Amino acid sequence: MARTPKRPNRFLTIGSVLGLIWLIGITVLAFIADLIPSIRAPEKLGPRAAKNYKIGPGWDYWFGSDKLGRDMFSRCIYGAQISLRVAVASIIVGLVVGGFLGLIAGYMKGKVDSTINVLLDVLLSFPALILAILVVGRLDVLSDSWPWLTRTWSVTIVLSLLSIAPIARIVRAQTLSLSERDFVLAARSLGASKWRIVGKEILPNLVPAMVSVAFTGVAVLMVAEGGLAFLGYSVESPTSSWGKLIAENREKFNDGAWWGTTFPALMLFLTVFAFNIIGDRFARRFDIREAAL
Amino acid sequence: MRYALTRIARFVLVFIIVTFLVMLVTRIGSKDPVRDLAGGTVGDETMAKIRADYPYVKACSGTFEYLPCVAKQYGYWAWDMVTGNMGQSYLKSQTVVEMFQERAPATFFVGLWAIVIGLVIAVPVGVYSAYKRDGIIDRVLTFGSFVSISMPQLVLAVFLLYGVASKLDFFPNLWDYVAPWSDPVEHFKNFFLPSLTLGLGLGAVWSRLLRADMIMTLQSDFINLARAKGVSPSRVLWVHALRSSVLSLITSVALQISSLVSGAVVAEQFFSVGGLGFRLVEAVQANDILVIQAITAVIVAVVVFANVIVDLLYSVVDPRIRQMRAMA
Repeated sequence: MARTPKRPNRFLTIGSVLGLIWLIGITVLAFIADLIPSIRAPEKLGPRAAKNYKIGPGWDYWFGSDKLGRDMFSRCIYGAQISLRVAVASIIVGLVVGGFLGLIAGYMKGKVDSTINVLLDVLLSFPALILAILVVGRLDVLSDSWPWLTRTWSVTIVLSLLSIAPIARIVRAQTLSLSERDFVLAARSLGASKWRIVGKEILPNLVPAMVSVAFTGVAVLMVAEGGLAFLGYSVESPTSSWGKLIAENREKFNDGAWWGTTFPALMLFLTVFAFNIIGDRFARRFDIREAAL
Repeated sequence: MRYALTRIARFVLVFIIVTFLVMLVTRIGSKDPVRDLAGGTVGDETMAKIRADYPYVKACSGTFEYLPCVAKQYGYWAWDMVTGNMGQSYLKSQTVVEMFQERAPATFFVGLWAIVIGLVIAVPVGVYSAYKRDGIIDRVLTFGSFVSISMPQLVLAVFLLYGVASKLDFFPNLWDYVAPWSDPVEHFKNFFLPSLTLGLGLGAVWSRLLRADMIMTLQSDFINLARAKGVSPSRVLWVHALRSSVLSLITSVALQISSLVSGAVVAEQFFSVGGLGFRLVEAVQANDILVIQAITAVIVAVVVFANVIVDLLYSVVDPRIRQMRAMA
């Protein structure tokens, strides 16, 4: 009694369209933040706002003001810049390095495969957040001698490191099953070289899975960045990220300034949600089994 | 048997590599590890005492000598761990064993209750969703689990702490570790919110997993047979189908331990639960080498152990997997 799914397998559903709109909107705002006068100067709200959390959400200041009297909306948009930049940069590194390792492990099998697998086990057996605070904490010490190594860089480095292993696992599994398929066999019997098979036959077929993983991965990394920020291991002030805004404004939540925490929390949640929805739609559209990223 | 041994050997290898890497990381940018052990400015006699206690801890330098030098220290440290001398935090004037006795129970209960909450959510939701697939309740539940998965623990913790705990008198303002056997009610009050922070996301992940598995199982022949025999629908669902769908759920429980620990660090920090994660963050800030190494070693050991169990369990349950993996 195998039932066929009742719903057609479309990519564009209400959820994914709303998610796309939200993501595009946030990204565009983050990109052009410097060009919009009202967002550009979060520090200068005038004397009325100079006190702690003086202004609540309203027509002039949509999300209210923070403890230094800065416009929360502007802080959130600049926070979006950092949160998005860090997560997207890391997932790209993860896709390139993890994808490479996974492809090689999956196609070569044998010794190469077991070596890479031990490496991935090493990366995976360590709780992500703990690895992150350890490394970011130590990179701080190095930043004395290497001035370019700001927190933004160290967080990106750590999150890239974290995204390698799960991606490599997924790519490896996909490669293993793809290399059993008939078109690979056909290419091989036509005399195609190893690299040609990997590059021209297998790699293109990995793309849908990769797109799906990229979206879910960005969501996971944004959450991880939030955790780091909360523990005090994300970007340094006055730069903000959503996680950091939540962490630094949370003490005032019950003293009447709920907006300082609620709005960044809402933005973080909606963005993670949007990334997850789109990733999930991709996975279903291309029938990719759910991976444990 | 050979399969089991190779798996175990591999996990031991992974454990050694990870703990060695942690040691390397604690040495990044550290000019004098003894100074890190002391935890800041201390007198010469304290430094001398630490040097006497840990003669092998010293700074390494040189391009080619660096790794062997750290490796040698790793050997000493590993031997200490094996013989039960886990080291000392000079910063807190506490041995690492005492620290574990003080901190580990809190983390253990946060994790345990998180898993329990996760399962209490996941099993009914997963089973019901699969049973009434694509019905209105299934869609609501699926949407709900999706929302929960997307809810960062940070956001959930903010909501629970400021939106719930501080509005109700029920939950304590200052966290305190209470053992369940000494006062169950107080224990519940203290542990419920941190565990819920972790458990909700787990429940969502697991309910999706269980739903997918149950849908597959409910389409298989033996379920039809059970139905045809006249076994009651609820028995088919809760006994026959659930039992054969629960394997990947168990796997996931074990595999989520690693991310559970990550979450526990955030939850402990947020609710000021004085557990291991809380202590670890302190130790990282001060680069309290021995504490970092001991806590991470224990965490990695637990994670790796869970992996071994899952692996072996899998091959016991399903011999096909054993063969498949032996070939891979």
